[in-house]
Amino acid sequence: MKNLVETVDLKKYFSVGHKRMLHAVDGINLEIPEGKTLGVVGESGCGKSTLGRVVMGLLPATSGEIHLDGQDIVASSKKEFKKIRKKVQMIFQDPYSSLDPRMSIYELIAEPLVMNKVYSSKQDVLNRVQELMETVGLAERFINSYPHELDGGRRQRIGVARALALNPKFIVCDEPVSALDVSIQAQILNLLMDMQRDLGLTYMFITHNLAVVKHISDVIMVMYLGQCVEIAPADELFAHPQHPYTQALLDAILKPVLGSGKERKLIQGEVTSPIDPPAGCRFAKRCEHCRPECMGRDIPLTDLGGGHKVACVLAEK
Amino acid sequence: MEEKKPLLEVENLEVVYQTDEATIRAVNGISFSLNERETIGLVGETGAGKTTTALTLMRLLPERTGRVLGGKVLFRGENLLEKSANDMRHVRGAEISIIFQDPMTALNPALTVGDQVLESLQIHNTTGKSKEELNARVDELFNLVGIHAERKKEYPHQFSGGMKQRIVIAIALACAPQLLIADEPTTALDVTIQAQVLKLMENLKKELGTSMIMITHDLGVVAEICDKVAVMYAGEIVEAGTVEDIFNGKVHHPYTVGLFNAIPNLDEKTERLHPIDGLMPDPANLPVGCKFGPRCPHCTEECQQGMPYLYENNGHRILCNLLKKEVNNEELG
Repeated sequence: MKNLVETVDLKKYFSVGHKRMLHAVDGINLEIPEGKTLGVVGESGCGKSTLGRVVMGLLPATSGEIHLDGQDIVASSKKEFKKIRKKVQMIFQDPYSSLDPRMSIYELIAEPLVMNKVYSSKQDVLNRVQELMETVGLAERFINSYPHELDGGRRQRIGVARALALNPKFIVCDEPVSALDVSIQAQILNLLMDMQRDLGLTYMFITHNLAVVKHISDVIMVMYLGQCVEIAPADELFAHPQHPYTQALLDAILKPVLGSGKERKLIQGEVTSPIDPPAGCRFAKRCEHCRPECMGRDIPLTDLGGGHKVACVLAEK
Repeated sequence: MEEKKPLLEVENLEVVYQTDEATIRAVNGISFSLNERETIGLVGETGAGKTTTALTLMRLLPERTGRVLGGKVLFRGENLLEKSANDMRHVRGAEISIIFQDPMTALNPALTVGDQVLESLQIHNTTGKSKEELNARVDELFNLVGIHAERKKEYPHQFSGGMKQRIVIAIALACAPQLLIADEPTTALDVTIQAQVLKLMENLKKELGTSMIMITHDLGVVAEICDKVAVMYAGEIVEAGTVEDIFNGKVHHPYTVGLFNAIPNLDEKTERLHPIDGLMPDPANLPVGCKFGPRCPHCTEECQQGMPYLYENNGHRILCNLLKKEVNNEELG
């Protein structure tokens, strides 16, 4: 199957003054086949949201390549980019702050259609808005309501409808269910999965919730301080995590089952600073297996076969 | 076995928020009790009345709108709701303290973290301890929550989220309270940090014998740390019991079942999740009869009239008409 999205050695650095650089995304190579979902997990500050924004073209990349449906968006001109842009959309985390409170539901969903001059008549726009509302399960009576009149789940449906308006191929979902209650969360996850099946969408699903990511993803990438430390098919990652960080992350999940309260291996310490990090494994300071080989050089991803790759000295042997 | 005396008893507590437009019925007659060294989990979704309950126990309801309509909060036999504001000030922070949800906003950015921990010690310094003694206690608290005491001269922005939450916990524990109310203490934290904080709270329970009220919507946290659970929905406790009752019991309230089904299961591959249909009722306009009725797959005409049946079995309480039939069936069979 062909890859819809590919990045090659993608980097995004932010200047933080005094010639210091914050390495938010540091050499990410990823491939997302058409119609599949890549889950990106990691703790806050690991650069997963920045990665999503760079892949979408919302932030310019510092270096590297992003291929979207065969076109490199880093190298493309503004005019070309505008065309590609319609194929990529984003669903944001917080449905409370990502919608303009002064726009009605109709205006919110119609906005991308009007901005891109998709239709010439108002009737066509209205028809498309109604169609989209039906797709995402919003009752038609809400068409003239304002966001504050709706609950979180319905607001997130508006976010989904806006993202779908231009018939995109690829959607970056940045923590789309984190701000929602569990019963509502399940509704939105079902909706996203139904749409993928019906419309053949490709997702990049960014979250810190491991249960959610396992449920929705085909392949999961674990990020730590801007780098990919492990990538594997979802079931394989949960069954045989190789990187010590992945193991710790999976170990820290609290299951809603009694008696799982075994002794956990807690990772000590906090995430180290992403500002001009030295070469070497970035997890080394918190890792119980840390040894001299871990420092002084970047650890490449070792291919373990079956799409499972891990960046760890232990796996190199 | 000797009957443990409850530390806290809440009886028929009813709280409303009165605004010009409407009366919002946030808590509608809840009762629960908590023994020493026990942790109770208050579980429910946004708007279930969990935080309102916590604020009522602390007497911190918003003055203009919050009203307690009835009920009692007995803390070691004394009704907190009848205490004067002055007496309450000695209870708050010293005997009962609270950890708020968001560590990023709970600390004062203009004071060093050490001063913030010291503040509560100074206010409740009834035995006239010297400054040195209080400072020694601050160091001790920092060690307890796993932060080097040298860092007490730093400001909140110099700490990460998990460390800030641990400082908030240090403040809450400063006067060794008998009851600690934790309002979603780990929701704003990453999983690895969450595990650290829960471990810390567990140790504190063992070492200091503190009782805890854990407010959360995360059933994983409940399984990890609680002894008892009360599931709240629209201001009522719809199911209460020990953790074993809730996680392994045979009978449940349909809402509890719904909550469990809505979470993706890590051990099994499920194609679709099972959300609870519909929405939480508007607390200004609650349905008659069972509050969960409009979203319940088993709702009958009977449920829409009057209070549902209260099932009780060895302390496991469920508020649901379904169980009336079950009991009848058992009696018949």
